[in-house]
Formats: sequence, structure tokens, C-alpha cells
Amino acid sequence: MSAVAELRRYFTETKRWLLVPVLLLAILPLVTEQYFLSIATQAIILGLFAISVDIALGYVGLFTLAPAAFFGIGAYSVAKLVVDYGSSYWLGFPAAIVLAVVIAVLIGYGPIKRRIGLVYFVLFTLAFGVLVHDFTYATTWLTGGSNGLGYLTAPTLFGIDLSRTVPYYYFALLAVVVVAGLLYWLLSSDYGDVLHATRQNEVRMRYLGYDTDREKLIAWVLSATVSSIAGALYVATVNVASPSLMAFSLTGEVTIWVVIGGLGTFFGPFLAAFGLTIFESYLGAVLPEGYLLILGALFIVFVFVLPDGLVGLLQRWRDGE
Amino acid sequence: MMYHLPLLTSSEFATYLLNGISQGMIIFLVASGLTLIFGLIGLINFAHGALVALGGYGTLLIADATGSFWLGLFGAIALVALLGLVLERSVLHRVYERPLLGFLGTFGMYVVIEELISFQFGDQARQIASPLPGYVSFMGATYPKHRLLIIAIGFAVALGIGALLSYTRLGMEIHATATESETAEILGVDSARVYTLTFVIGAALAALAGGLTGPVTSVSPGMGMSYMILAFLVIIVGGMGSFKGSFLVSLIVGQITAFGWLFLQPTYVRLGVFVAAMVFILYKPRGFFGKPEVFE
Repeated sequence: MSAVAELRRYFTETKRWLLVPVLLLAILPLVTEQYFLSIATQAIILGLFAISVDIALGYVGLFTLAPAAFFGIGAYSVAKLVVDYGSSYWLGFPAAIVLAVVIAVLIGYGPIKRRIGLVYFVLFTLAFGVLVHDFTYATTWLTGGSNGLGYLTAPTLFGIDLSRTVPYYYFALLAVVVVAGLLYWLLSSDYGDVLHATRQNEVRMRYLGYDTDREKLIAWVLSATVSSIAGALYVATVNVASPSLMAFSLTGEVTIWVVIGGLGTFFGPFLAAFGLTIFESYLGAVLPEGYLLILGALFIVFVFVLPDGLVGLLQRWRDGE
Repeated sequence: MMYHLPLLTSSEFATYLLNGISQGMIIFLVASGLTLIFGLIGLINFAHGALVALGGYGTLLIADATGSFWLGLFGAIALVALLGLVLERSVLHRVYERPLLGFLGTFGMYVVIEELISFQFGDQARQIASPLPGYVSFMGATYPKHRLLIIAIGFAVALGIGALLSYTRLGMEIHATATESETAEILGVDSARVYTLTFVIGAALAALAGGLTGPVTSVSPGMGMSYMILAFLVIIVGGMGSFKGSFLVSLIVGQITAFGWLFLQPTYVRLGVFVAAMVFILYKPRGFFGKPEVFE
């Protein structure tokens, strides 16, 4: 066996190829300046956010228009504890997870148990998303209203000041790799197959004895929780939890990332979110208002011409060889 | 913050009532286009909000250029209807069998159109001059004439579309296609044409709503979104695909927003409407007037 074939086998048949992008991200601070690195920090966190939305949208086919609500719930959990109660930053993460689980169960149980159709699920989560945003805007005593909750920075851990750009980048990278790794492990297991099968033929899965409502609810809660973790990680990069973190436009953006990356492909949404966030920052210097326009046009092309997304495009290219 | 319940004078009562009706009429114009398209095609047309904004800006630009509001309004309606025709014929008719793609595709169109408007005209709100400035007084209240005009046009459109659906051949064909499209085709209905016409009518109604509301609420790139979210909830509570239902529920929502702020901040009134819609989706997904054959 030639060395090249050996190398290809080494990387493709196992999941070791995953180390390559992780290593590339790990050496990024050595080759870029501070400004780019702060954008990259946000980009990897938004990549995790896109993965979380892909679980609901791509794996189980629950078309949610509320991801920004959960992202914001995570961000506000951290900000509320740190800014208003002066408690530890680290307490914010368990708070964000618990709050997201509780709200996700409360919101998701009814629609999933009653098996409402796609259209109704879309509108139900749309109403919930707008509700959370408006609530945040209106309850000034709780959330600071339109000013939001600020100012907060990440604390010092083991003598490392996480509020600086490079340490926070590594902290965020570590957190994203750990959470995404756990999710990938979970979704590569039989559970991931159950989700894919449920999306493709729910009735047959029920005949086979699976409690599909339970599986969908678990995936929904998982998706909401990871969205919330991403929001909790994100808030320290902008220093303020503001209603824009739960705005409908963020839901729109993340949906676009997931579709462009490829529904149900896990890495595609991460890649699209990461790449497009970086692209946005570059475009901002040249054409500040053009980002959403280009994003929307790109999205239309993907929906009508390439509904399999970037990953589907790559697979087609590989299979064509 | 709670407000105390003040005793209303008759003139205040009349003002709130009329505000509620005119607000309800705008919601109805947006919702009626959505519900026609949804009831017939099963498409959640997210681009509808962008068509509302296009109607507003079209009216503004043509009215500024020609000095006539009416020319602006009808010009905008014609242009937006034409755009609807192009969108439907070029891409949308391909995704009717796939609701997820249809929803995503129209969502993309919404983003592109809204951003194009914002790119071209900026984000600040702009006012359209009303064709009927000034006020009328009755029952001791003075009331802007333009809002009365909105009410009149709203009722006229409701009657017109209602008659179209109930008494014309096209209306029958729409009903037939919505209920049993294959049988309707066997009986000689050109369903592709019915879909296209319905989509164009829906687009024209969106443009009418955008142009009419301009003098009252001003126009901005995001104007369609807030109306559209409210309209989605109205068509759920009224019953998906039910024209009568969306009319009645629009009026009710208009009254709730008009009188609600006597008791609560407007945002809390909105929150209440959203919660009500969520409860409806769960426990009464067909709303008040929805028919079982319409999409689940």
C-alpha cells in the first residue's frame, strides 16, 4: 500500500481527520492579529449555535423559529447573575443549562406530544421567539430593557485572565470542541440513527416500537440547551446581553447557515456559520450593509438549486470522481 | 406598569373604537393575502411581509414623483402583483409539494427584498402624504379622515374578495382546487392558473396594505415583518385558509390593541396576543372557522 493511500485511509476511515480543523483552529492565534481573533472567537461560538439548530432542524425535522430565544436565554442567564447579583461567572453556565432545559420542556412538550404539523410548529415557535424577544424588551426591571445587561467580562481562571482576547479564544475553542465532540459522539451512536429514521418515516418507527415523541422531545431539549450554552459563551465576547441577541434576525441567520451548510450534516452548519461570520467582518469594511443581502441571495440559490448544502455539494463532487 | 382604568368619555370611546377598526383593517389586508395563499397552496409565504414593504415604498416613490397618492397606490399594487407573478412562475410553483423548501425559499426572498429596500433607501421611517388630510368631527371627537378611508377600503375589499370567492367561477375553481385539486383538474380546472392567480391576488393585497398604512404608520424596510407576524397569528386563530375567520379575528385583534393599552403597556398586549395564538395552535389548531381538509 502506497504511503498516500495509507495516509488517506488513516484519515478517512477513522474520524481522525477531525483533528485537522481543530489543530488549525488551535494555531490560529499564532498567525493572526487580535481583531481577527475576536471575530474568530464569535465565529466558533456561532458555529456551535448552528450545530445546535441542526439537531432540531436537520436531524429530527423540527422546524423551529425560536433558536435565538434560547441563545438569548443563555446569554441573559450569565449576564443577570454577573451584573445584577454579582455572583460568579461560572455559575452562569449551569443556570443557562437548567433554564433552557426547563423552558424547552415547557414549550416543546405540548406541540410534540400533540404531533402538530410542520406549519403549526413553525408558527408556534415563531410566536414563542417573538414573545421572548418582546418580553425581554418590555421587562426593564428584569432584563434592563433595550439597554440590556452589561458590562461584563470573563473572569480570571488559574491565573489566566480570560477577558483578554487570546485566552478567551482558547477557552471558547475548548468549550466548543468538548460540547460539539459530545454531541457528535451522541449523534453518531444509534440515537442519531433513530433521529434520522424518525424524520424520514415516523409512522414506521412507531410500528417498530420506538417512542418517537420521546426521542423528538429529547432532541428538542438537547438542541435548545446547546443553543443556550452557545449564548452563554457568546455574551462575554460582546460584554452586554441585549435584546438583539434574541432578535428574529439571528434566528434567520442561523437558519440560513444551517441550510447552506447542509441539513443534518453536523459539520456543514458549523463550517457555514464560521465561514460566513468571518466573511461578514471582511465585507463590513468594504460594503457594510451588503452582508444580509448577499446572505439572502446565497440562501435562495442553495434552497432552490443545492438543497443538500455545502456538504451535499462536497459529497457529490467526491462521488463524481 | 399598570394603568388605572379611566372613565372614558364618548368621544374617547369612539376614537379608540375607530382606531381599533382601522388597525384591524390593515391586519386583515395583510392576513387575507396570506390566508388565501396558505388555504389554497399550503405555502407559508414569508415573502408576504416584504411585499407589504414594497407596496409602501412603491406608493411613496410614485406618489412623490407624480404628486398623486392614488396613482402611487395603484402603481405600487400593479408592480407588486407583477413581481408576485414573476416569483410564482419562476420558482415558487416548483416547491408547492415541498412545504419546507417553500417556506425557506420565501424566507430568503423576504431577506433579499427587505435588505434591498434598506440598501437603497436607508433604515429610517418615511412618511407618505395622505390623499385625505384633515379631520372630521362627530360625537365630540375629531378623527383623521385617512383612517376612515382605510376602514372603507378594508370593508370594500372584504366584500369584494368574499364575493369573488363565493359567486364567481374563479372563486369556485379556487375552492375546488383547495379541496380536491386532482378531481378539479379532471373537471377542467387549470389548477396551475388558479395557483398563479391566487398568488397574484395575495401579492396585490399585501401591496394595498403597505400603501394604505403609509400615511398613518409611515414606511420602513421592516414594516412588513411586524404586521406579518400578527397576521400569521390572526389566520391561526381565525382558521387556516378561512377568509371569513381572518376578517373577524383581525377586527378583534384591532380592538384588543386599541383598548388594551388602557390597562396595559402595548407590548404586554402584544404578548397576550402571542400567548393566545400559541394556546390556539395547541388546542384548537383549526381556529374558529378552519375546515378539517385544510392543511394540518
